Amino acid sequence: MTTKIINQKKSLFLNLEKLILTNFKNYTSERVNFSPTLNAIVGKNGMGKTNLLDAIYYLCMSKSNFSGNDRNVVQKTHDFFRLEGQFKRKEKKEKIVVKVIPGKQKIIERNGTAYSKLADHIGLFPVVIIAPDDTSLVTEGSEARRRFLDNTLSQSDPNYLTQLMRYNKVIRQRNAALKNMAIQHRFNATLIKTYDQQLLEPAALIFEKRKSFLEKIDPIFNEFYQKIAAHQETVQFNYKSKLIENSLEELLEENLEKDRILQRTTAGIHKDDLAFHLDNSPLKQFASQGQIKSFVLALKLAQFDFLKKIKNTSPILLLDDIFDKLDSSRVKQLLDLLLKNDFGQIFITDTHETRVEEIVKDLKIGYKKMEIKDGQCID
Amino acid sequence: MNFSSKLIEEAVNAFASLPSIGKKTALRLVLHLINQDKEVTGQFAEAIVKMREHIKHCEICHNISDLAVCEICSDARRDRSVVCVVEGIRDVMAIEDTSQFRGLYHVLGGVISPIEGIGPSDLYIDALMQRIQKGEIKEVIMAISPTIEGDTTIFYLSKKLKDMKVKVSTIARGVSFGGELEYADELTLGRSIVARVPYRINE
Ligand SMILES: [Zn+2]
Repeated sequence: MTTKIINQKKSLFLNLEKLILTNFKNYTSERVNFSPTLNAIVGKNGMGKTNLLDAIYYLCMSKSNFSGNDRNVVQKTHDFFRLEGQFKRKEKKEKIVVKVIPGKQKIIERNGTAYSKLADHIGLFPVVIIAPDDTSLVTEGSEARRRFLDNTLSQSDPNYLTQLMRYNKVIRQRNAALKNMAIQHRFNATLIKTYDQQLLEPAALIFEKRKSFLEKIDPIFNEFYQKIAAHQETVQFNYKSKLIENSLEELLEENLEKDRILQRTTAGIHKDDLAFHLDNSPLKQFASQGQIKSFVLALKLAQFDFLKKIKNTSPILLLDDIFDKLDSSRVKQLLDLLLKNDFGQIFITDTHETRVEEIVKDLKIGYKKMEIKDGQCID
Repeated sequence: MNFSSKLIEEAVNAFASLPSIGKKTALRLVLHLINQDKEVTGQFAEAIVKMREHIKHCEICHNISDLAVCEICSDARRDRSVVCVVEGIRDVMAIEDTSQFRGLYHVLGGVISPIEGIGPSDLYIDALMQRIQKGEIKEVIMAISPTIEGDTTIFYLSKKLKDMKVKVSTIARGVSFGGELEYADELTLGRSIVARVPYRINE
């Protein structure tokens, strides 16, 4: 019986054993070996701790978490970068290689074979990053919140990403059609109607997936918040989508005149949003900085938990500057919470040299500490 | 590359302007032509000039043609009740190679893609409607690649054809086209034309 459980846990495991970086941000040429459990990455600010996490994120998601443009990822004075990750996934060794010449070429290879579509890679190596700029989920516009939904669901369901790309492409074509028709003063109702109908299927699927995801994470999100936050206020989020009340077909028809004037599609799942509340008041206006930090942290942990359940694998967890959000005792509580279950591989960065070490000592688990100095790793 | 002759340089640049021909290949071709009889290169050049001078687009189906009406459209043995709608002339060649289709064609000249500035009026869509209005055509087969823009085009055409008395079908989707019809292997493409499926708009 006991053996069986251990075996089950083993098969769930995903971890990065070795990372090789070439011309990636401030890493010219570096090899780093990791512990399968906890990795404490320490060093002063600006030394490259976050860049190391971003390299791991890149290998899993085929893009940087912090920069949409690969020109900002490649080391200055170089025209390419390369990342190699040696993973262990479902008890097998896997090698992922990323080769990028910004603006020219982007190749991702899995065990020596290049993907024909990068989208095929998403979700095979699930990852969750928790970073200080997560507060943008609360402070910024709806795009940041949709990105959170899309990031999670693209990893959990390959069809979601396919349908999302399809939807976005049709929206771009519809917008271009609206613009061209306005310039030529010739409206083609049949063509717009064609696009409307092409949007229905992907929109319905994306809407359902978003709704079901938010319903699923609701209880666990509250549980996480209560454990992290110092106070016992209630938190909640609501899915805001016009598709809750109307069909997309009706919405597009209702907004057609508006769309023609503005020359873009004004209603649809590309306008979805999340509303965050604290004790029934809008979070952004009424919460303290600390409460906002706890809120987004709980949301990210709920994302982690969701992916873990659906993938039957613990995602790689990247905790960037977690002490910015929580004091030592709460970080300890959090790690305790994460590690108590069948945890996966965790990476924590910290400016304080011994803080993580002290916490981990009490928890009695294996870990590795490494110091980062000017894009180099000192074991 | 450094040439000792201005004449060679010009000829190399001309060849290198063609798709998938680099400077090295261009030079090899030019040097090859130098070793040929003048008569041979004369015929070679003449073939290109003549082709470009006299090639036409068929005024019925918009396929390439030597005459005002192409060989397919003027072939009395072909079934005039079925028309296969394709994006380009290479699709006509690919389907002809299968020997599985005995009807006529209609070349659209692309697919609807407003992002690239191509709207329905930039394609031979009205010409297709006029052909169908004449009443001889009973079935329209859409052999258009299964991309988002291909889907839009098929969808748009079916809407336009809804009130006309024609059967609309598509060649089986999910056939391994590799994106474009011309890359489909003959057997698969031939089979999918024979096994075409009725197209239905869910409205
Ligand atoms: Zn013809």
